[in-house]
Amino acid sequence: MKRKKIILASFFGLITASIVIMLAYLELLSDRVEEKLDGILWTVPAKVYSRPLEIAEGYSVKPQYIQKELELLSYSKKRNPEDPGEFHFEKGRLDIYLRGYEDQKPGLFKVFFNGGEVSSIKRSDGISVDLISIEPLSIGGIFPSHMQDRILLNWSQVPKELIEILVLVEDKNFFEHSGISPTSIFRALIKNTISLSKQEGGSTITQQLAKSLFFSPEKTYTRKIKEAFASLLIEENYSKQEILLAYINDVFISQSGRRAIHGFELGAQHFFGTSLKNLDIDQLSLLVGMLKGPSRYNPRRNPNRAKERRDLVLRVLKDSDFITLKDYERFIEKPLSIIKPSFRSQSKHPTFSDLVTIDLRSNFKDKDLRTRGLKVYTNMDPVIQLYLETSISNTKIELIKKYGQELEDIEMAAIVIDSLSGEIQAAVGSSNPREFGFNRVLNASRPVGSLIKPWIYLTALNNYKDFNLMTPLNDSILELEMPNGDIWAPKNFDMDYHGNVPLHMALWKSYNIATARLGISLGHQEIQATLDSLKIKKRLRGYPSEFIGSFELTPIEVIQAYQPIASKGFYSSLRAVRKVSGPTGNFNLSFPYSIEQVLRPEPLHLLRFSLKKTFEIGTARGYSENRIRSWNVGGKTGTSDDQRDSWFVGYAGEYLVLIWSGFDDNRKTPLTGRSGSLQVWKSFIEKVDPLSAKTSIPQRINYQWVDKEDGNLSGKRCKNSILVPYINGTEPQDIPNLRKNCRTKNDIFSRDKLNNFLEDVNL
Amino acid sequence: MTLIRKIFLISFSIFSISCSNQSVKEISVGDIKMDSFSSSVEDLITSKEYLKSEIMKINAASPSIQRILNSSDEFWSKGDLKSTNSELERALRLSKTESAVYLRLAHLRFEQGLIIESKSFSSRGLMNKTISSWESFLFNIYQELE
Repeated sequence: MKRKKIILASFFGLITASIVIMLAYLELLSDRVEEKLDGILWTVPAKVYSRPLEIAEGYSVKPQYIQKELELLSYSKKRNPEDPGEFHFEKGRLDIYLRGYEDQKPGLFKVFFNGGEVSSIKRSDGISVDLISIEPLSIGGIFPSHMQDRILLNWSQVPKELIEILVLVEDKNFFEHSGISPTSIFRALIKNTISLSKQEGGSTITQQLAKSLFFSPEKTYTRKIKEAFASLLIEENYSKQEILLAYINDVFISQSGRRAIHGFELGAQHFFGTSLKNLDIDQLSLLVGMLKGPSRYNPRRNPNRAKERRDLVLRVLKDSDFITLKDYERFIEKPLSIIKPSFRSQSKHPTFSDLVTIDLRSNFKDKDLRTRGLKVYTNMDPVIQLYLETSISNTKIELIKKYGQELEDIEMAAIVIDSLSGEIQAAVGSSNPREFGFNRVLNASRPVGSLIKPWIYLTALNNYKDFNLMTPLNDSILELEMPNGDIWAPKNFDMDYHGNVPLHMALWKSYNIATARLGISLGHQEIQATLDSLKIKKRLRGYPSEFIGSFELTPIEVIQAYQPIASKGFYSSLRAVRKVSGPTGNFNLSFPYSIEQVLRPEPLHLLRFSLKKTFEIGTARGYSENRIRSWNVGGKTGTSDDQRDSWFVGYAGEYLVLIWSGFDDNRKTPLTGRSGSLQVWKSFIEKVDPLSAKTSIPQRINYQWVDKEDGNLSGKRCKNSILVPYINGTEPQDIPNLRKNCRTKNDIFSRDKLNNFLEDVNL
Repeated sequence: MTLIRKIFLISFSIFSISCSNQSVKEISVGDIKMDSFSSSVEDLITSKEYLKSEIMKINAASPSIQRILNSSDEFWSKGDLKSTNSELERALRLSKTESAVYLRLAHLRFEQGLIIESKSFSSRGLMNKTISSWESFLFNIYQELE
C-alpha cells in the first residue's frame, strides 16, 4: 500500500516536473521567438559600396570609362537592350537599361556623346532627361563571425507578386492554418513511410521560419515536434503579415563562399544585381523555386536545373490563373539572366577597406558595424581602382624584366584622390594589389626624398620680395660641420655642381645642393611653418639633411600635403567614406566636404610653373606639349638615399596620384623616382587620360619674357628667353641694350591678353 | 555724289565705333563707393536672409546642375542643411566651375557658423574662369566676413 503510494506520488511528481519543464521550455521558446522576430537578434552586416556613377547632360566623360564601369557592374552587352542590366554602345551613343537605384527608376535610356561630353540623355519615349544614376558597385561588407548576410525589408517594400507566388508555391493554406497544417503533415508522413525516408517535410511557411530561426537543418521527428510548438507560438503572438515578412527577410537563399545569403532582397541583388522591387515574375519565380534546394537549384552552378525549377513554378502560377498562358509562354522563353558574382565576403580591395574602416571607427562601434545593417557609401571609383591595380601589376612585371629577379619582392603603395575635394578614389598598399597584410599606404613611413623640395621652394616664394622664379641659387660645393664633428656634404644625383642656377630650374632639375643651401638660408622654423600650413603633423627635427629628403612620412601623409598644391591652395581632408545610412534610411551620417584656403594663390602659381616644367624638361619629361597642356600636369620625382625609395607625385586634370616603390627591409633598389614610381604613374594616367580642369590666373600675376640666365627682361624673339610668371611688382625692370631690338610691344602682356594666352599655358 | 557717300560712310563708322565702345564698357561693382550703393545692396551686406535669397537666384549654366540645385534649395528652404549639403556636393562632383554651387556652399557654411570655410568656398568660386561681376560681388561679401 505504502509502495503503491510512493509509485503514485512519483508518477504525479514526474508528471508535474514534466509539465513544469515543458512550461519553462515553452516560456523560453516564447522569449526566443519574440526576441528574434522583434529583430533584436537579427544581425545584418554593414554593406560597403563604391560611389554611384551619375551621368548628366554636359558632363565630361569618356564612353570607354562608362563601359568599364558597366562591365564591373555585370551589365551585359545586347544590341537592343530590353531588360534591366543590358547596354549597347555604338558611334557616340549608349543605350542602357538601368536596373534602378534610390530615386533612379529602372528603364531604357539613350545617352549621346559629343566631343568628350554628354550632349543629351533621352528616355525610351524620346523625352529628354538631365541626369541618370547608375547604381554603386558593392565592394564588401563588415561581417559578424557567422557570416550571415541579409538586407531587411519592411512590409511596404515587399512586392505583392512575391507574396502571391510564395503562398501559391510554398504554403497554399498559409492564411487559413494556425502554424501547422495537419493534412500536409499526414500527406508527408504517408509518403515518407512508403519511401522509407524523410524526403517530404510538409512544413508550412511558419514552420519553415521556426526551423530557420531556431533549429538545425537535420530531419528528425523530435525536431519536427519542437518546430511545431515554435510555430504555434509564432502564430499565437504575430500576425500573418509579420510572419510572412520575417520569412521573406530570413529565409536562406544561397551560399556564396563563406557568406550565407539570407532573405529575398539580398537574393535579388546577389543573382540579378538589382533590388527585389525591380524583378519580373520569372525572376521572382526562380528565387521562390530555389527555396526547395538552394544548392541543387543554384542558377550559377546548375543553370539547367534552376531553369527547370523556375519553369515549374511558372506552371503553378499559370495553373492557378496568377499569370495568363501568354505570359507563361513568354516567361519560359526568357533566359535566367543571372549576373556574374561581383561581391566578395572578403574585400577585393584590402587597402581601400582599411581606409574605410578608419573613417568609420571614429563614429561607430565595431559591433554596430557588424550587426546593424548599415550602408556605407564610399568615394571609391571602381574603374580608377581597377586602372591603378592594373598599372601596379603591369609595371612590376616590366620592372622585373628590365632589372631582373632582384625586383621580385619590390613593394608599392599608391593613392588616387580628387584633388579639389580630397575624396579618395583608389588606394593600393601592395605590389600584389589584392593581397591582405601590411598596408603601406597607411603604415610605411619612409624618407620622402625630393618630394620635400616643393615645400621648401614654396616657403621661399612666399617671401616674394626676396625670391622669384629667376632668383639665382648657389649649387656649388657645400660642406657643413655637424655638432658631432662630422662633415655633411650633400651631392647632386649627377654628382656634379652647377654654380648659380635660377630657382625654378633648381627645383625641376631637383638639385640637392642648391635646395640644401636654400633650406638653410630660410631656416627650419620658416619651413616648418609651411609644413604646418599643409597640415603635416610630423615635425622637422632640425637636421639640414631633412631639406633634401631624410624627412619621413607615410604615402597618405605625403598625398595629403600635396593636395592643397594640386587644388589651387585649398586644403581638404582626405576621405574614403561619403555617407553612412541606416538600414531603413532612418539616419544618414555624411562626411562633408570642407575646405580651407591654406596657400596664397600667387606663390602657388609660381610653384606650379616649376612643377609643370618637371614634365616639360625635368625629371618626368617625355610627354608631348599637347598632352602636358590638356592634362594640365605638374609633379615631382623623389629618390631617397641609395635609392631605397622611389616616389612620384603628380596631378593631371582633377586627379592627384602618389606612387611609392621600395623594399620592406629598406635595402637598396636600382630604381629612381623616374625609373620606378613615375612608370606606374604614367601607366595609370595614360589609361585614365584625364580631361583638363581650367581655372583663371590669380589677379596679381603677370608674365614676362626674361633671359634664361641673367633673369633680366627679354623678348620672345630674343635668344635664350623664357616666359616666366611674376607676382606684380617683383618683375625685373632692366632691359639690357642688346635685347632692346628684339623685345617688342607684343611681349608685354595686358590682362586680357594674359587670359587668352593662359588658355594655352593653363597653370 | 561720291564725296557725300564717303562723308556718310565715315560718319556712320564713327557713330558705330562710339556705340560699340559704349556697349563694351562694363561697370564693375567693385568700383562703386560704399555710400553710392542703393539700399538693396546695403541690405545684401547686412541681412543674411536677403543675401540668401539673392544667392538662390543665381542659376547654374548647366540644366542638369540646375536641377540638382533646385533640389538642394528645396531642402534648404525646409531647414534640412544636411541634405542641402549632400546635393551641393553632388553638383560639385559633376561640375567644378559653377559659381551658383560655390555661392550656395559659401552661404550654407556661413549659416552653419563655419566662417573660414565660407570664405574658402568664396575664394575658390572667385577662381572660376567665367564669373560675372555680380557673382564676383556676392563672393566678395563672404570674403569680408568676420
